[in-house]
Amino acid sequence: MTPDEPTENLKAAGPSDRGGLMPPPPSIIWAVGIAVTGMIIYIARGLVLILLLSMGLAYVINPLVKRAESVAIKRGLAVTGLYLGIVASLLVTAYFVVPRLRAEISTLSGSYPALTQRLDETIDAVQEEIVTKYPSVGRLFPAREARYDRLNAFIKEQTANLPSLVSHLATIVIAVVFIPLFSFFILRDSPKIIAFLMDRLPPAEIETSVAVWCEIDRVIGRYLRGLALDGLVIGVAASLGLWMLGVNYPLLLGAFSGLANVVPYVGPILGGGLAMLTALMQFKALTPLGNVLILYVVIKLLDDVVIQGQTIGKSVHLHPMLLLASVTTIGHAFGLIAMILAVPAVTVLQEIAKLALERRRFRAGVTGPHPGKSFHIQPYVC
Amino acid sequence: MSGFHWPAWTIDAEQLRRLGLLEKVPLFAGLSRRQLGKLLVKLFEKEYEAGETIFPEGEPGKALFIVLDGSVSICRASLGGEHRIATLGAGAYFGELALIDDHPRHATVRAEEPSALLILYKSHFDDLIEGHSTIAIRVMGNLLKTLAGYVRMAQAPGADHNPSTMPTRIAAPEQSRTPAEGTGR
Repeated sequence: MTPDEPTENLKAAGPSDRGGLMPPPPSIIWAVGIAVTGMIIYIARGLVLILLLSMGLAYVINPLVKRAESVAIKRGLAVTGLYLGIVASLLVTAYFVVPRLRAEISTLSGSYPALTQRLDETIDAVQEEIVTKYPSVGRLFPAREARYDRLNAFIKEQTANLPSLVSHLATIVIAVVFIPLFSFFILRDSPKIIAFLMDRLPPAEIETSVAVWCEIDRVIGRYLRGLALDGLVIGVAASLGLWMLGVNYPLLLGAFSGLANVVPYVGPILGGGLAMLTALMQFKALTPLGNVLILYVVIKLLDDVVIQGQTIGKSVHLHPMLLLASVTTIGHAFGLIAMILAVPAVTVLQEIAKLALERRRFRAGVTGPHPGKSFHIQPYVC
Repeated sequence: MSGFHWPAWTIDAEQLRRLGLLEKVPLFAGLSRRQLGKLLVKLFEKEYEAGETIFPEGEPGKALFIVLDGSVSICRASLGGEHRIATLGAGAYFGELALIDDHPRHATVRAEEPSALLILYKSHFDDLIEGHSTIAIRVMGNLLKTLAGYVRMAQAPGADHNPSTMPTRIAAPEQSRTPAEGTGR
């Protein structure tokens, strides 16, 4: 062994062997960062949800602010004017709609104590109608007493959750106050926020990094604005349809259907289900129930074929299975209202993944047209 | 003259200045003030320090850049090192081919001095032209004229037909500090 050998061995050894700490690989830092961010989001989910919904509202209103900006009106002035306009329109709408809506709610809450009895009577009537038409089906129905006990137990179980419902109501009230307030500041200061964030990016990275944001912004903006318009159309259509069918509380049920429609897949079922239950309890017969079912199926078909094409369009390119999985997961983790954010959340992840893949493609030296998107180039120009 | 009939206290002077600049950009020739306003709200503004890279050669093109203030230089790597092929001043634009596809940039662009640029991303441009066919026709028409100019220059007698040097040659005559045809892809 020569005197040089130990030195060479020392050189070949890593920094940890010299007593220093090896820096962790970037993938580990990223994974830890994502996990910590996820945990913080989960812990502060109430506030995060309010912030995200405020951003959603800002997205819906932003085109109007942009329109004012395009004719050189100051942004702050445009946002303030717009909010005053929205408040004025809400007051006018409330003046005409709220008394009717309040009457519907008070009628509904007044009849609440008799709910079990009414539900039981309804089931009796429907059961009787079915047995009269199809006597052989009669043996499939449980005895009246057993059913009544089960129904009572179910209602008791649901009303036991009333305290948590009250706390949910408090959250809703906080959200109603804070969401418009936050969205006002987001709208007013978004150019400053974007400029601040852009200044923090390395200059040479701005083009590709902000391009991802632009694509996300475009998709989410279109989706949320489309969703708001879609919900409005569905709400009006459902209210009109239920009113024409003579179902009680058409405004309330229509408003609920419009609001619930913003939650993919689950919303239309909830809206339609509630309307059918109301019709069933009101008429105690199968035909009106069928009519309401047909109304909601027609509205859903029209929504899918005509309305969504005009409002949401092809802004979101997500596989239905991925969409359903994200709705269920986000709903389970953050609650029913957060389901609205499932599509934007998955869109963000999808765009980031697309960027990562594109960068990988460029680094690998694949700089030609995308595979399968080759473009014919003429060998001459004249 | 603002061109808009609003009380002075409602007018955003900075927005008006940008509008005035956009009017002089050849790519947007033929657009009315209102159409330019719709375009303007799709733009980002970003300030660069002298020497900062705006985009490097070989990166995918995602946006068109318009020089609002200052100047930028367009450089290409060659065997003898990097050489400058053009300097662009306020009102000039570059990177216009990114509005068509996302192929890699053929040149590196750097700020010559502290500069402010307006950036129009392809996704925002697509969003704009989808709902405004007149804007689409005019801008695309102007873009085609620019591309036709490049092709004619490339086809001119005595032109170098080596595709690898083509962008350099196309960009070379644009030594301008006034509104200019685009370069740098």
